[in-house]
Amino acid sequence: MMLSFGAVIGSFLYSDTRNWRSTISKSLGRIPTGVDIGPFPVDINLTIQLIILTEILLFGGAFAMYFAIRVQFPFWPPASSPILDDSIAKLQTLILISSSVLVEWAVWKLKRGNMKAFKAGLIGTTILASLFPILQFGFEWPHLILGHILTPSSGFFGATFFLLTGIHGAHVVAGVIAYCYTDARAFMGQYTPKNFGFVEASSTYWHFVHIIWLLLFALLWQGSRLLH
Amino acid sequence: MARESTVALKLEDFGTFVIFTAIYAAGTLGLPKIALFAYQIKVGEAASAFVAMFGYPAVLGLALGQFIANLGVEASPVAMLSPVLSLLGLVVIYYARKLSTLAGCFAYVVITSLWLTYLLPITTGITTTEAAYSSFLGQFIAVMIGYGAYRLAMTERPSQTSQPK
Repeated sequence: MMLSFGAVIGSFLYSDTRNWRSTISKSLGRIPTGVDIGPFPVDINLTIQLIILTEILLFGGAFAMYFAIRVQFPFWPPASSPILDDSIAKLQTLILISSSVLVEWAVWKLKRGNMKAFKAGLIGTTILASLFPILQFGFEWPHLILGHILTPSSGFFGATFFLLTGIHGAHVVAGVIAYCYTDARAFMGQYTPKNFGFVEASSTYWHFVHIIWLLLFALLWQGSRLLH
Repeated sequence: MARESTVALKLEDFGTFVIFTAIYAAGTLGLPKIALFAYQIKVGEAASAFVAMFGYPAVLGLALGQFIANLGVEASPVAMLSPVLSLLGLVVIYYARKLSTLAGCFAYVVITSLWLTYLLPITTGITTTEAAYSSFLGQFIAVMIGYGAYRLAMTERPSQTSQPK
């Protein structure tokens, strides 16, 4: 299922991306030199607001599930739950904060016409963003599961931990893909100080993913220490 | 990146909002704990003065950051009311910025310290006197360090439309 989903997304992006250059050059060729074409006509703000709304509903449901399970127990986390080592989680938090600041800086530079700094900021953000899933799926999860510290089948705390961090991790991967797409378009010269809607939409999505992570960090890592 | 902010928030303010949330929440949960008598100094409080520079996104971001930080450290339901009092104090800093940001910061320290003086005896069992001086000192130190950083940032700011007091 995952492979077929990836194939559909990949083929869509490939066919879409392949046509950008010719479409844009044809469009720009019709515009007389020196004419300001203004902002992109599609309201991407509305689009990203709708996406964020659906994400709020998804994560709202996930957190509601977490609290519904939590209230069933007189103490939380349950007594057999381990204290989670938060060193990787702290590093991930630092990565998210740095990437959020960097993308804001990049957008700020773009609005002022400094394209070189904008591209550098965007590439830096993408590199930082890609570190997050590497740490989560390459280090944290294997460490917990293979070390038998916490597994999805080791009780309610383990199940909710892997469900919530898994959903969030999938969104981070989607954010990294969105940034790669944004980078490609930036290097094809498709953003200007007046046309940057997709960059802002990607950064808004990323900020949302960041805020969800802060909630997870407080509830799962710091929350695992409350009764110990 | 700072700009004049109004109460009406735009999508582009979301980044500022989230960054301030992260500064408070991650600063409190992620950094080593600094204890002053019975009170735990919260590093994120140092960002309060920057409300005068970044406006309402920072006000709401810091209040949410405090709520998230409390999810990870507090066990008492009454402690979850703290962000409401902080929100009030931060709004005072925001509206006082044209008169005096320093006065706004003092007001913030007073508002939050009064609340903590009420809260700490309930959550930690210390006396009201202990709670009063430790919370006031803790808040004062954190907020004044932040005010110093804010002043520095204002002098380094490339284009200024209005000089803060």
